[in-house]
Amino acid sequence: MPVQYLANLSLYVPELVVVATMMGVLFLESTYRENEKNHHFVFFLTLFGLLVAAVSVVANFTVLPTEFFTHSLIHDSFGNLSKLLMIFGTMASVYLSYQSREIDQDLKSEFSAIALGVLVGGMLLSSAHNMLTLYLGVETLSVLSYALAAMRKNDEKSAEAGLKYVLYGGVTAGLMLFGISHIFGALGTIQFTEIKLALEKVDGAKLAILIPSFLLFFAGIGYKIACVPFHMWSPDVYEGSPTPVTAFFSLVPKVAGVAALVRVTFSFFTVNVLLNHTWIALLSTIAALTLTIGNVTAIGQRSVKRMLAFSSISHVGMIILGVLVTSDEGLRSVMFYLISYLFMTIVAFYIVALVSEQYGNDYFERFNGLASRYPLMAILLTMVMFSLSGVPPLSGFVAKFNIFAVVIEKRYYVLALFAALNSVVSLYYYLKIVRLMIFKEAESSEEIRGFGFVNQALISICSVPVVLLGIYWERVLMWAQGAKLFVP
Amino acid sequence: MMIYYYLACFIFALGLVGTLIKKDLISILLCIELMLTSVNLFFALFSKSLGSADAQLQVFFTIIIAAAEGAIGISMIMALFRKIKSAYPDDILIYSE
Repeated sequence: MPVQYLANLSLYVPELVVVATMMGVLFLESTYRENEKNHHFVFFLTLFGLLVAAVSVVANFTVLPTEFFTHSLIHDSFGNLSKLLMIFGTMASVYLSYQSREIDQDLKSEFSAIALGVLVGGMLLSSAHNMLTLYLGVETLSVLSYALAAMRKNDEKSAEAGLKYVLYGGVTAGLMLFGISHIFGALGTIQFTEIKLALEKVDGAKLAILIPSFLLFFAGIGYKIACVPFHMWSPDVYEGSPTPVTAFFSLVPKVAGVAALVRVTFSFFTVNVLLNHTWIALLSTIAALTLTIGNVTAIGQRSVKRMLAFSSISHVGMIILGVLVTSDEGLRSVMFYLISYLFMTIVAFYIVALVSEQYGNDYFERFNGLASRYPLMAILLTMVMFSLSGVPPLSGFVAKFNIFAVVIEKRYYVLALFAALNSVVSLYYYLKIVRLMIFKEAESSEEIRGFGFVNQALISICSVPVVLLGIYWERVLMWAQGAKLFVP
Repeated sequence: MMIYYYLACFIFALGLVGTLIKKDLISILLCIELMLTSVNLFFALFSKSLGSADAQLQVFFTIIIAAAEGAIGISMIMALFRKIKSAYPDDILIYSE
């Protein structure tokens, strides 16, 4: 047995690398003297550790799908790909935090350390294969996120954002645990495989317990991906936190939550007809509500970050549409959506962060006349906004198109109609910022410090995939098809 | 055995209702802890009646995480209290939909 444990350890190397990097960051941070301001080594160590983790995830791609650590974790290409996306998201936000002036100089190392911790939680969540690891993943993700949200501790808004996050998070964790405990009570196991076996032959009385339990269980995941009944925290937290933190929140916990949702849906809800119908009805309602409320509320926003928060809520709605069809094509389109969403979000937040840092806030008016002052940045932001709203030939269009295709194939016409109408609505608020950039006079002529050569180059590089994924999407889609879920 | 189940249900409901109606942050935090504690009771109860140790293990993890959550919650209330000199959500929550 111990030998097998050690052999399986190789599948866990990415997580171990991230944990080691986190410890390294903490140790390195403590060696700095109080008056030393530049913590470059911490930054490089973080990026290096993440790079090593990414390489070790890629190295595990060839290993056959398997369960390990006494069935508590699972290794498959879907989980691996989501881990890779999360690592890239973390890299981008750590770089952003290093640039940022919103985060105190002496708190930057803490950002790196906590972000790495959240990443571990996300990786755990995306490969969780029993209720205990799933719960631990959710909580590792949450507890550290609370601290991230309150990063600017001298700012009221940031502290309040953190507090709201804690309170909402605590309640949903309680509800989720209540669900888990009753699932255990009804089925007598916390292993996913055994739950699946048990679900095949449950009868009426147990179903009456199981259905509410699964609804409560969904609260925990729904809260992490910010879908509608549990979305209230997200705009406040997004607006209150420093921008790098916001970028981080819209990438890593979302990908992790979606990965967990996909795994749970495919493991539990494909066997029992009644449960399957209930779950799909639940997800459809939530997806429709999420899309609509996210988009409609985004229209009236004054702050760009808050607008992006609501837009990311509506994107989650689209992703849930891809999950609820429960087919391989659906899985493929979800993966493609996540990939394109990652790059669009990175570029959008990058530009918004640099602009809002200059002026101290991120209201729409700050973007007035950007086109005449920084044409390249304005073009890229315009492109990303078009892509986010789903205009061809950019990646956002292909991602949405794939989701539509699978939804229509399953004959969920009403849902497809909802999604299409919402895409039209979303054009309004995405193009508002484009209109301001191009047609309005600039408010001031002061240079935006962040837009140096290096940053402009990096933003351009990050936005290349937004175009390429829109044009050469077939190849990526075939590649995303390799992201098979392993359901033993 | 059933009496314990009702007890746990009662504590959970107490916590849930408390988080919704309580008017100061410390009490809300206490109510959240109450919810998590009642779930521990459920786990212990079910694993005794089903004779499986899986869920008893979960109790330890839940206790640890509840402690971490409580600590971080308290520290955030402290941070806000230093700024505003109040621990009542009505004074603090500046955002509204």
